[in-house]
Amino acid sequence: MIFHSLDFVVFFVVVVAAYWRLRHRAQNVLLLAASYLFYGYVHPWFLSLIAASTVIDYLAARGMERWPERRRRCMAVSVISNFGMLGFFKYFNFFVDNVHAVLASAGVHASVPVLRVLLPVGISFYTFQAMSYTIDVFRGELRARRSLLDVAVFISFFPHLVAGPIQRASYLLPQVEQERRFSAEKAASGFFLIVWGFFKKLVIADNVGVIANKVFALNDPSFEILWAGVFAFAIQIYADFSAYTDIARGSSRWLGFELTENFEHPYMARNPADFWRRWNISLSTWFRDYVYIPLGGSRGSEGIWARNVLITFLLSGLWHGASWNYVLWGLYHGVLLVLTRAHHILRPATGTGYAAAGGRAAPGVADVLRIAGMFVLTLIGWLLFRETEIAAIARDLRLSPWNSSPFERQAGLALFLLAFGYSIPLWTQSIWVELHRGVTRRDDGPAGIGITLLKALACGAAFTAILILRSRTSLDFIYFQF
Amino acid sequence: MKVPAAGQLLVAAAVLLLLPLGLRAANRLHAVPSLQPDYLPALHGPRERIPFDAGRVPALRRMNPGLVVIGDSMAGSRIDPAILTQRTGRLTAPLLYAGSGPAWWYLVLKNWVIASGIHPRAVIIFFRDTNLTNVLFRIEETWSLDTAALAREDDLNAVVARRRGSPFYRVRDAFERVYQAEQARRWVEPVLNEWPARVIFPYRRTRTIFRDRLNDRFGLSHLRPMDAADMRATEDREADFDAYVEKSGLPLMLRDARAAGLTLVLVRAQRRPLDGQAPHQSPALRRYVARLQAYIEARGGVFMDDTGDPAETIDLYDDGDHLSREGRRRYTEAFAVRLQQRLP
Repeated sequence: MIFHSLDFVVFFVVVVAAYWRLRHRAQNVLLLAASYLFYGYVHPWFLSLIAASTVIDYLAARGMERWPERRRRCMAVSVISNFGMLGFFKYFNFFVDNVHAVLASAGVHASVPVLRVLLPVGISFYTFQAMSYTIDVFRGELRARRSLLDVAVFISFFPHLVAGPIQRASYLLPQVEQERRFSAEKAASGFFLIVWGFFKKLVIADNVGVIANKVFALNDPSFEILWAGVFAFAIQIYADFSAYTDIARGSSRWLGFELTENFEHPYMARNPADFWRRWNISLSTWFRDYVYIPLGGSRGSEGIWARNVLITFLLSGLWHGASWNYVLWGLYHGVLLVLTRAHHILRPATGTGYAAAGGRAAPGVADVLRIAGMFVLTLIGWLLFRETEIAAIARDLRLSPWNSSPFERQAGLALFLLAFGYSIPLWTQSIWVELHRGVTRRDDGPAGIGITLLKALACGAAFTAILILRSRTSLDFIYFQF
Repeated sequence: MKVPAAGQLLVAAAVLLLLPLGLRAANRLHAVPSLQPDYLPALHGPRERIPFDAGRVPALRRMNPGLVVIGDSMAGSRIDPAILTQRTGRLTAPLLYAGSGPAWWYLVLKNWVIASGIHPRAVIIFFRDTNLTNVLFRIEETWSLDTAALAREDDLNAVVARRRGSPFYRVRDAFERVYQAEQARRWVEPVLNEWPARVIFPYRRTRTIFRDRLNDRFGLSHLRPMDAADMRATEDREADFDAYVEKSGLPLMLRDARAAGLTLVLVRAQRRPLDGQAPHQSPALRRYVARLQAYIEARGGVFMDDTGDPAETIDLYDDGDHLSREGRRRYTEAFAVRLQQRLP
């Protein structure tokens, strides 16, 4: 089931209405049933995978606690089953294709098997979430749960099941286990998040997504058209993914849950490290805690640190998809991080201006330049991410603005302006938040009449925009494919 | 005075529902005529449509072809009408639209071919895999669909409604009646989509030229082969014949053709061969094709399947599932022979 469908609206209203009439255990039973209905709505066979993952990780965690001397074996079962499932469905064809290519280059023409099944949506998200549970139990940071129901709800919780944010067991499981009470504050803030999320998805992401799709379908883009398309994709992927997160977080609040933030206005980042503190935060922290730090993190020499960063980003790239362009994208960001740390470029100066003021002072010219510089670097990354053919990436990077005709320049400008026009609300929000960083405020408590009316008008305007500006081409959430 | 969260929620919900009512007032300021209900209300609310191409009916009547070929670029890249006419001795009328789908094929059969009263030896429709039982395939391509649709298409609408499986379009229509959003889109969309061109080209004439060039720039000839050929593979979920046949236009096509005394020849185009072999077919797809064939033949239609034809090798293909110019010539010649065997 997808968020931007009337099916989901009806489903959600029914679930919420029934949910608050039940006691705690029955609520969890309902959540599990609703989550499985949500996930298996189109492809019921997907349920067998998530159910298998849940049972194996539940038993593995129980086994670790019951037989401490066999902890490693139990952990291995969890790792092999989760990565095995992920590897089989997501990477099997990639592996086979590459073996085939290597054999072909050696003059051996072998017939190779190809897996012809759909990639189960959300598999990368829920396997990582399930792994966070077994790893934390393995490390002794979390106790294994007795209730299979609670673990199953934790893994399959429908608002964030398909595209995150990936929640840690230590954060979400206690919420599953606790009694939950309806909170008008949470419901109100959840409502605003949901409306904003739908606006971002239907009005911004889907409209600019059409521009990006058109450009990336071209066989012969010019420099200007290509980069207008990359800009459109940058807007699309942020609006789309953060919209999913907002709707997930908003829906969760209606069920008495609080999910972690996943985005912190990433296009306001001043350097690569800052970008990764703001983009897909839940995945970045997963890789930091379960890959980067176990590899040694920043302990040891600069060389070891650089190696750890590159391995982490390479795996992060590969997590996104079984294709070399994702590997390149991951490595690109790893290299950026290593280079900027090594050369201290694009890093905020310490002790002066914005940074020194704890973010309270208005960003200065240097900050604006850093933000712009980092945004350009991010765009190059998005080209690697969006363009799946390596030969096309090489061609795109060789394009020069000097060879374009006036028409190509005008076309690129027109596409850029169109994408920019749709993204004005996103930029406005990001810049406003950036200018007011450090100012503490509560969004979910009582508010003055002015603020109340302003929020209500924003909701009304967003809904009006959805009615008249939503794209006629409905696109899936991008991160569904991962 | 502070407003509690519940109050904020109520105010926001009320404004959310009430503010779009302003669209009704805004619509009055713009001289936009009222929109007519769509011929597929299960799919679209009231909207502006391209007129029905009524000229096709007398043109077909005048031409009085012996064969009619209906389809998308699969048919277009396979059949050379001149060669088919020459090889079969029957004048061939191609009714093709690149990027069209089974809904358009059905409407063309009903509203152009049958309405013209002609009696060709066969009406040939090309399709890929599960197209015939997927009425939603390319049904949003209204620029083609409108050309063949009358003011009401109740039969087609009924199968679309069944296929969509929910009465939600009534909710959408209710919203439309209340807010008149579709009407507002008619004047908002051009303003929004054309503002960059207005900034770059202040004069209407140069703007129009630019817009036409931009459309050409993103035309099929500039697209990557796989994008131009729409290479999306059939999902096994679609290959459930019994689940979808009554929610598709196939029964309507067969019923109407039979009632008009026409022989419908449904040709399954072979998709692009891979590694020197015919394209892979999952067990579900094989079962589907067997059921499809039985269904068509039981209702007086002729089923032809190109998949696995040893003569259809990769060298006939251009991009994606399209055949090359030379492939088209060779295919048409071979097809003429096969057709005459099936329809002596």
